Amino acid sequence: MNSNSNNSNNQKKRNFQIEAFKHKVVVDPKYPEKTWKILEHAIQEIYNHNASGLSFEELYRNAYNMVLHKFGEKLYTGLVSSMTYHLKEMSKSIETAQGGLFLEELNRKWIDHNKALQMIRDILMYMDRTFIPGNHKTPVHELGLNLWRDNIVHSSKVQTRLLNTLLELILRERTGEVINRGLMRNIIKMLMDLGPLVYQEDFEKPFLEVSADFYRVESQKFIECCDCGDYLKKAERRLNEEIERVSHYLDGKSEAKITSVVEKEMIANHMLRLVHMENSGLVNMLLDDKYEDLGRMYNLFRRVPNGLSTIRDVMTSHLRDTGKQLVTDLERVKDPVEFVQCLLNERDKYDKVISLAFNIDKTFQNALNSSFEFFINLNPRSPEFISLFVDDKLRKGLKGVSEEDVEIVLDKVMMLFRYLHEKDVFEKYYKQHLAKRLLSGKTVSDDAERSLIVKLKTECGYQFTSKLEGMFTDMKTSQDTMQGFYTNHGAELGDSPTLVVQVLTTGSWPTQPTVTCNLPAEMSALCEKFRSYYLGTHTGRRLSWQTNMGTADLKATFGKGQKHELNVSTYQMCVLMLFNNADRLSYKEIEQATEIPSSDLKRCLQSLACVKGKNVLRKEPMSKDIGEEDAFFVNEKFTSKFYKVKIGTVVAQKESEPEKQETRQRVEEDRKPQIEAAIVRIMKSRRVLDHNNIITEVTKQLQSRFLANPGEIKKRIESLIERDFLERDNADRRLYRYLA
Amino acid sequence: NKLGRGNRDKVQQLMTITGARPVIGILKERLMYSTTSPMLQHPYADMILADGISLLCNDIQVDPQDIVMLAISWHMKAATMCEFSKQEFVGGLQALGIDSLEKFRERIPFIRSELKDEHKFQEIYNFAFDWAKEKGQKSLALDTAIGMWQLLFAEKEWPLVEHWCQFLQARHNKAISRDTWSQLLEFARTVDPALTNYDAEGAWPYLIDEFVEYLLENGIQKGQLSDWTH
Repeated sequence: MNSNSNNSNNQKKRNFQIEAFKHKVVVDPKYPEKTWKILEHAIQEIYNHNASGLSFEELYRNAYNMVLHKFGEKLYTGLVSSMTYHLKEMSKSIETAQGGLFLEELNRKWIDHNKALQMIRDILMYMDRTFIPGNHKTPVHELGLNLWRDNIVHSSKVQTRLLNTLLELILRERTGEVINRGLMRNIIKMLMDLGPLVYQEDFEKPFLEVSADFYRVESQKFIECCDCGDYLKKAERRLNEEIERVSHYLDGKSEAKITSVVEKEMIANHMLRLVHMENSGLVNMLLDDKYEDLGRMYNLFRRVPNGLSTIRDVMTSHLRDTGKQLVTDLERVKDPVEFVQCLLNERDKYDKVISLAFNIDKTFQNALNSSFEFFINLNPRSPEFISLFVDDKLRKGLKGVSEEDVEIVLDKVMMLFRYLHEKDVFEKYYKQHLAKRLLSGKTVSDDAERSLIVKLKTECGYQFTSKLEGMFTDMKTSQDTMQGFYTNHGAELGDSPTLVVQVLTTGSWPTQPTVTCNLPAEMSALCEKFRSYYLGTHTGRRLSWQTNMGTADLKATFGKGQKHELNVSTYQMCVLMLFNNADRLSYKEIEQATEIPSSDLKRCLQSLACVKGKNVLRKEPMSKDIGEEDAFFVNEKFTSKFYKVKIGTVVAQKESEPEKQETRQRVEEDRKPQIEAAIVRIMKSRRVLDHNNIITEVTKQLQSRFLANPGEIKKRIESLIERDFLERDNADRRLYRYLA
Repeated sequence: NKLGRGNRDKVQQLMTITGARPVIGILKERLMYSTTSPMLQHPYADMILADGISLLCNDIQVDPQDIVMLAISWHMKAATMCEFSKQEFVGGLQALGIDSLEKFRERIPFIRSELKDEHKFQEIYNFAFDWAKEKGQKSLALDTAIGMWQLLFAEKEWPLVEHWCQFLQARHNKAISRDTWSQLLEFARTVDPALTNYDAEGAWPYLIDEFVEYLLENGIQKGQLSDWTH
């Protein structure tokens, strides 16, 4: 054996000299063949599990020498044919393996090959590092894998069988069997080690196709026999299964691909059928508050294109239908408070669904809001009803409720308020109802009242609430005035009835027509005193008594000595006081004495004489209605369980048809100046503007109060042209110009 | 308030004696006739009123209801219908280059032809609004407006004029604003009677929108114009 050491001829850096060989180096022509045989033999031993008897150092040296003496090509070629030969042997034994042992044999051989390959590579490392790169050959390790791939995995007898075996195992696992996952992992890892192309072509692609078929069939089966909730559970389970499968024995990159398959076959393809499934679909889940099912549906559907929008659309149309039914239901409409409560309940319900099941998804919240906005405005009485609801709450509903809970209720009401298109209608009713509450002293909590005003102000601006605040101020000021009055005149008024006056600033309060009414002598004198007191301190003002809005407390003694305190309206007081001086009065006499307008008087007498439990007067004849020929007497036999009897009605009520028409008309009238003001404001700043743009701008400006009607805007423009605020352009008739 | 027989004779005399007289001279006498009428107060001094106008119409051989009278009033910049101030009358004649009754008669066909001119017709039409309305009013009374429209659109031939007048009487019953008046001419000029090119967003006055609605309700389909009578 020759051992060469490279001369240090070219090692100029070295400081020492190495002597040249004293003898000549002769190269044996048989040398390469001999050396190769040694290595070949070694390879064989390695493959035969006999590596222990080999000397690594020796083999390394041999390989090294071959390369050194320029026999790398031979070495390489030999390596290729040697490995190929052994692999073909391995292949035979794999091919002949029976049934379940096939994979095991393959696995075993693979492990063997890898061990062998490692050893071989170590031995041939010099070649790997020098000859191979220089000659553009495949490195040993890679070569080993490629040869494995070509001779085993792609061999005709193995390739198909391998794939089928793997797929069958997966199928069995999908049908519930337990399989050897470790073995699967090793085999799959083998394919992965052979390169992404092998993994994809030899396994992943077919795997995905087969899976698609599998799930297509399964989903069809399920959808025929399961209800929506069950189906979704199954789909979810399958999805999780596949994810778990990937984590256990497939390439991580396959996860997205297989889940995509499941999503498509099980969800996307059946989306509409699921959502619309009778008795168990989305609508049913919503109706029954099935949060878990809904959440599952959301999570599954969000994985597929248009999944969430499908859910959202069905939810929206259902909500709109239910809402529409709700607001147009004739029965429900009879009770405004109930009406609004139903709306709030519905909103709470969907809020809960969206938070618990739909991930607080903003697009769903928007759909909820737009649906509510749609159907609330289908009923033109919604603004009135919401005000009545608030009235009920502030009158009694919120009695004893904690401050935080009050805020919660008011905030919910504000939510509904925001949906209204005709906020100015609400304002009108709110003002009326507030007036009645304030004047009858019937508000549960001043703080609650003010809190709501603040919320309205934040929402709509100062103008919306300035008059409402004026009402509160008037109440306070009146209190101070009364104090002043009694301080100044208290002494002389000792015997007179106690007077409480609320001075209302016209303009802040809802307008009422002044009516005639003759107060009883005791009252009129007292009222005159107040009037002169007030005008004494407020010159330049005018006072007019609103007799249709006041109340009175009367102490009455009846036939058998029954004493009661009667709480009545001013009108009723006027009528009753007449009976201090007469036992019997005809309708005409009462009318003459009080000068109360007849429709009001009839209503007043009816409430005094015809209502069970409150009939302090007796009427002849005893008919239900008030006739002009009727006669009235005090009902000496009047009884009541309570000492205090309330007869007056100043409670806010749902308006009658004619009242409603009147209010609507007033609202329309009020809108005209607002529209004009908006037009003038816009034209003043723009100077010249075309028709369509004016309409758009005006509508936008007024949006927070009401939806302006384009026809009405047009009429206002014409009115402004009439009054020389605007003119049409000479050349372009669609253009308007502001006239300063 | 008729002119007495004596005055008429006086006029006849003047005419036969002088033949072609300066119009101003004759009309001065007419002016005088007007002022001596017992019905008239001094504010009407130097004014030609209804009687004077019918005499004038007689002289120039034109019917007082003839639309040419409107055109003449326009030339004279007359403030109100059925009256001419001296200034208006004299100024107008000067502008027209008329200095005799004969010349006046000769000019009538020319004045009539002016109505056919698109631009002049528009001026005359718009002029008619202020001229026909009551002094001190902003709007034109409906009856007067209808009368004027029938006159004007007989001249200009707008097929929908009858429908328009019927519509107003059935649905509107109020005075007509200046804007509506002037925009109607635009409407008649630009929108075809079958309404095919009517633009709902076209900034037409509200009354005209209502008119279109009325037409559609009553059976004018867009694209055909059927004749109906109520």
